[in-house]
Amino acid sequence: MSQKNSSEAKRTARERMQEERAAQEAKTKRLRKFGIIGTVLAVIVVAVVIGVLVQNSRTSSYDAATQAPAGTIGTNKLIIPVGSSAAPSTLTVYEDLRCPACGSYEKSFHTTVNQLMAQGKIHVNYHVVSFIDRNDNGSGSKNAANAVACAQNVGKFHGYHDVLYANQPDETDDAWADKSKLITLAKQVPGLDTPTFESCVNNNSFGAWVTAVQKDFDKSGYTSTPTILLNGTSAYPTYNGEQISTANLIKWVDAANKGKTPATISPSASAALVSPNASPSAG
Amino acid sequence: MATDQMARAGGKQMERRRRGAIVTGIGTAARLGLAVVWAWAGLAKISDPEAAAQAVRAYRLLPEALVKPFGYGLPFLELALALLLLVGLGTRVAAALSGLLLLVYIGSIASVWARGISIDCGCFGGGGAVSASHTAYLQEIFRDIGFLLLAGWLVRWPRTWASLDGLLATD
Repeated sequence: MSQKNSSEAKRTARERMQEERAAQEAKTKRLRKFGIIGTVLAVIVVAVVIGVLVQNSRTSSYDAATQAPAGTIGTNKLIIPVGSSAAPSTLTVYEDLRCPACGSYEKSFHTTVNQLMAQGKIHVNYHVVSFIDRNDNGSGSKNAANAVACAQNVGKFHGYHDVLYANQPDETDDAWADKSKLITLAKQVPGLDTPTFESCVNNNSFGAWVTAVQKDFDKSGYTSTPTILLNGTSAYPTYNGEQISTANLIKWVDAANKGKTPATISPSASAALVSPNASPSAG
Repeated sequence: MATDQMARAGGKQMERRRRGAIVTGIGTAARLGLAVVWAWAGLAKISDPEAAAQAVRAYRLLPEALVKPFGYGLPFLELALALLLLVGLGTRVAAALSGLLLLVYIGSIASVWARGISIDCGCFGGGGAVSASHTAYLQEIFRDIGFLLLAGWLVRWPRTWASLDGLLATD
């Protein structure tokens, strides 16, 4: 009897011990589980915080006073103006040098636009954006935008802009990732290809400005290029419901300029606007 | 009779073990697959922070003040999930967070689609406006649902081979 009792007592003691051990195990298991969840969340929070800080420091701050090419206008000097500012109408152009639609716009309209500028009817505000590199990968847009900024810095944007569009590579061909191709094309613009220009192109001297122009476009709400505005109203592909054509563009400008005097432009300046890359001796 | 019972029990056990191995194998593949997806998605977005911010901005869901924190931070969230899944630490939690993030992505894409905005989802870099003919919302959503299934499997069966969870013996 007593033996039986003692064995029962032993068993209950063993059971109690087992229960305690099980409870202890469950507890450590739970703690470990919370430890893991905590570690997971910590890894994520640390990664995100460090990431945001790193990316913040990597985005170049842009200083309009020192980093914009000479002759640029607007509050942050992000606009390249061509033509006489006294011209009554403004054509605002957002273009990516790698964008094929911009290439076809330039092919169809650059002669007319140059003539309208030469007649003192319009001046053009260029926003040289560079987002095709994001969509198609590469660096041709940014390299080309920096190169036209280098040209703008020495007053030769207009001619170089026209040369680049006339020689635009296929969208999927990132030819201008090779900066030497941009320098070779600069030889078609009289007086542009200097050692200063070449180092400006090779060193991406206006990189911060190029990024700032693109950022400005990102926030503009315009989503595609070319975006063409005539006095603030979209003119591409249609203007007030009418399809763009060279004849219509001239008609629209004349209608907008009704009762206003075109800017007076000297014959030599006028000739330079019509064909910006004619050798200067001819003018 | 006793030996017969034992044999039957042994057979059942072996059967259970075999099924367990299959589940663990699928789980391991899902874990590593999801890790690769997040790593790829995250790495593609860190080289150009401005582009990442613009990809977020293009959804027109967040106010401008939050565009940069999300654009800069999301790729690192994805990389952190990739790392956790790769080493198999906190697999169930990491998978649950992955699923949550994927649901947010799917909802965002659906919202953009419903509002008639034409963008690239920017899921693996890129992003921003595209022409209406270049949108691929249905494919993007189906792809994300595929990833969501991997995450769901791991939430249900988080046990995998070659994982830190296994080393630490927690399930």
